[in-house]
Amino acid sequence: MDNQKIPHPKSLPQNEGGTSKQDSSSSLLVGEGAGGRGDSERVVLKVENLRIHYATPQGDVIAVSDISFNLYEGETLGLVGESGCGKSTTAYGILQLVQPPGYIVNGSIKVDGTEVLDLGEEELRKFRWTGLSLIPQGAMNSLNPTMRVKDQIIDVIESHEGKQSSKEAMRERIYELFQNVGLPNRIYNMYPHELSGGMKQRVCIAMGVALHPTVVIADEATSALDVVVQRIVAQTLVKVKDEIGVSLIVIGHDMGLLAQIVDRIAVMYAGKMVEIAPVENIYAEPLHPYTRLLIDSIPSIKERKPLKITEGITHDPRNPPSGCIFRLRCPFAWQHCAEAEPEPIDAENKHEVACHLYDERFEERRANAFATFANP
Amino acid sequence: MPSPLLQIRDATKIYYSGGFIGDKKSVVALENFNMTIDESPATITTIAGESGSGKTTLANLVLGFIKLTSGKIIFEGEDITDMTDEQLKAYRRNVQAVFQDPFGVYNPFYRIDHIFDLVNKHFSLSDNQNEYREMVEAGLNVVGLYGEDVLRKYPHQLSGGQRQRIMMARAYMIKPRLIVADEPVSMVDASLRASILDAMLRLRDDHNISFLYITHDLSTAYQIGDQIYMLYQGTTAERGTAMDVIDAPQHPYVQLLIDSVPVPDPTDKWDVNISLPSEEEMRTAAAKGCRYYPRCPHRMDKCLVVQPPLYKMEKPKHEAACYLYEENEVAPIEPPMLVNRPMTEAAVATAAGRTRERMVAAVLVVIAFVAGVLIASNREPEVVVETVIEEVQVLVTATAIPPSEPPTATAPPAAAPESQVIVPAFVVEPAGAVDMGSIPWGEDTFGEIENADDRHIYTFAGFEGTTVELKLITGGRGLSGTGFYAPLATVYNPDGEIVFAFDRARRSNRGELTFAADGDYQIAIGADDRGRGVDAYTITIEGEAPEPTPEPTPMPTLPPPAFVVEREGAVAKGEIVFGEDAGDEIQSVDDRHSWSVAGVAGTTAHIRLITGGRGLSGTGFFAPFATMYAPDGSIVLAFDRARRSNSGTLTFAETGTYVFVLGADDRGRGVDAYTITIENEEG
Repeated sequence: MDNQKIPHPKSLPQNEGGTSKQDSSSSLLVGEGAGGRGDSERVVLKVENLRIHYATPQGDVIAVSDISFNLYEGETLGLVGESGCGKSTTAYGILQLVQPPGYIVNGSIKVDGTEVLDLGEEELRKFRWTGLSLIPQGAMNSLNPTMRVKDQIIDVIESHEGKQSSKEAMRERIYELFQNVGLPNRIYNMYPHELSGGMKQRVCIAMGVALHPTVVIADEATSALDVVVQRIVAQTLVKVKDEIGVSLIVIGHDMGLLAQIVDRIAVMYAGKMVEIAPVENIYAEPLHPYTRLLIDSIPSIKERKPLKITEGITHDPRNPPSGCIFRLRCPFAWQHCAEAEPEPIDAENKHEVACHLYDERFEERRANAFATFANP
Repeated sequence: MPSPLLQIRDATKIYYSGGFIGDKKSVVALENFNMTIDESPATITTIAGESGSGKTTLANLVLGFIKLTSGKIIFEGEDITDMTDEQLKAYRRNVQAVFQDPFGVYNPFYRIDHIFDLVNKHFSLSDNQNEYREMVEAGLNVVGLYGEDVLRKYPHQLSGGQRQRIMMARAYMIKPRLIVADEPVSMVDASLRASILDAMLRLRDDHNISFLYITHDLSTAYQIGDQIYMLYQGTTAERGTAMDVIDAPQHPYVQLLIDSVPVPDPTDKWDVNISLPSEEEMRTAAAKGCRYYPRCPHRMDKCLVVQPPLYKMEKPKHEAACYLYEENEVAPIEPPMLVNRPMTEAAVATAAGRTRERMVAAVLVVIAFVAGVLIASNREPEVVVETVIEEVQVLVTATAIPPSEPPTATAPPAAAPESQVIVPAFVVEPAGAVDMGSIPWGEDTFGEIENADDRHIYTFAGFEGTTVELKLITGGRGLSGTGFYAPLATVYNPDGEIVFAFDRARRSNRGELTFAADGDYQIAIGADDRGRGVDAYTITIEGEAPEPTPEPTPMPTLPPPAFVVEREGAVAKGEIVFGEDAGDEIQSVDDRHSWSVAGVAGTTAHIRLITGGRGLSGTGFFAPFATMYAPDGSIVLAFDRARRSNSGTLTFAETGTYVFVLGADDRGRGVDAYTITIENEEG
């Protein structure tokens, strides 16, 4: 098994140089061209060449393949793709929660300059909740059914800050958290089964932000909820993010919901990051053929349109195709796509896209391809 | 009248729990629910609602997993509770199920072909191996799969979409009349859902299998659904065709629900944070009166007393259970139950009796009217008759296109021969042509397009630069996702050329046309090449005749604006941002902000408004008031009820001082915040 993969040769988004390698948080001001929110240029999470494999008897499944991205302070980044594309694995990789047979092959994950991969077991335990926290998929099932809501939150706080002397102060603090996520104080003494799904999800949000982490990762945090409750939880998430001042990664496959709450979107396909761009630009003009497909397949409630039928990821994840990962499903693929792997290209409107069509050399092909695609 | 396949009458399901002695707790999962699914044509009936609304209870009742507390479920004339064993066996064959979890229904140790072997064993489809294999292959082909790709695989080797389609193929092999599909797409990736929906459409259209489609996903219901029932805590809040209900929800709950569906457009964001009273979120027990009372923004005292009945809405078959519509007619009780085959015909006749009488009378009126028109006109191409339809006075014109006039080039039945032209239900023609407004034409209006030769033709005056918007609805099938059978609608310009056509190439039920020149345009609406007609349509014409002598609109006399920014006489370039809590907010109907802007011809201004309430969200109910005046005082852009967006762009036609006035809407809801961006080039 080729554990010792050569790091992906691509250079990172912009003018990083070697400057940020040992930086502390104070000197992480990075001039950034692609993406960014405008109101902060400070990178709070920097993922470089992250590669995660799952070992199987027939060879390694490449779940995440050399992905790199930045998360800016105060930003909400959406990580989107179909099931099996590696978006959740990426999140668990960042949190150092990848379970065997999964393992991190290479990469670097820096939160405010701290290299997460270098942390020891105890440091890592401390770092979770304070540096990085997770709002898990199906949060309703991740609460302990035998513990009261207050005890679960107190447990999180005390495991990091030690035993708190004042019960009164602790209660005030939890009430404040409840207020942040729009929960009534009387659930303080309740058990999880007494709450609705949306409320349990918000308890998880409250726990996730209780220690004011730098980065919160919400993994499909709203996907099992009804439309109205989903809206409430999504809006709570954004509100809490703004109030507490954390940076947020939202993982999901609902492009409609992401359009409502995120600032930038990163699109993953079969372990690769194929496009990353500010949310307005990506919906207005998706560049990568896969992003186009994703956006085209959102069912509308405003207009009846033909169904866009696609199959899922079709290749064997142990043996990805040569060249571009998407070429087997791409309507525009040609010989070159099988020969060379596309590098991320800084395209117009702050898009970063990994597709040969945006290579200057193939400009003519791009124009023709899209013209014929539009009028078959 | 089509005979019903499935009828549900006053179905109530109550779950009891706890309480040995007295103190029994009960949860009403479904209450007095009524539904009819016709035998033919097959339809997709959507049951939508949040969890706890009773939709899965309904599915389980229809599948016979649980028993009704009261009421009846009648399938092909037989009450399912009274069925003999033999009838039950037939029922289980006729009603198949597809469940939510495409992972849970498979035994991971068996290959896919095992599923089909089991079906063959249970339902004895065929003893002949070859014949059986062909049946499997045919079943898979219907859902877009091939035996060689899937049969020898294990469940984990297939995608969620493929697994769900195999369940559809399995159901199809048994040749059921109805498939109960309980959240069939909710665990499948959005991009893979289309394949499942497409399989459903094919089964409906090509194999006449109806669906009871249980879902909380309104967008897929909108794409493929025919009828929709919106449930709220066990009661029907609203029902109608999926498009009518989702396009224009009437019940306050359904409005909130549809407003909460995330729109995949970052520029159209939820503009208000909503919250639920926490008691509501946790409540499970039933209440008296309207179930939505505790959350309803329009609640009244009487809502607490008795549950509101379903009231008729504007569109046929569209009904909502809300006292806001108390002035409307109460929707009639469902047709009587049809029990047992032999009675069916008679029962149908009785049930239809009243309706039929009305219809016959009305048809006679129409026939007389048409005859009158033709005689009076002496077959002149155009006649104007006045009639009164439900207190609305409308001028009606029957326009028959002379056979020679229209172009014959492309669209085959461009103009039907005169004799086949059906008089349009009505045509609004002030001064010879429709100026502006909307022509809605719904189902069950007389003179429907039913044959390939039927046509409705409208003439209206188009003015250069203004637009007409068309929206067509077919009986369900045509315009469904696959867009197989595009209905025929054609727009001719004054020269008789086709300028717009809904044909096979156009895979949408909506279109907008901007008139290139002034003149009389004609719209012919007909049937598609399979003879399926357009059931209903809406034509919206925007724009007014340019007045020969444009009478400058006098500047409105307004109360002194809260503030006016006048830098060197006017704002020339830049951004005017007025946020919440800025003070001097627009709070009452009379408040106004007025801005003078120096516009330079050809440059643009972009306006974005935010209201504090639900106003500008999807439903666009309460459009706030904002108006842009040109230097001559004419209105060049208005945010009114017709404009269902909170942002707009204005290109200055001439150089001069434009005035932007922002105020409150007709319900007194003010604009909370706004941004005006002026992109003038200093010139």
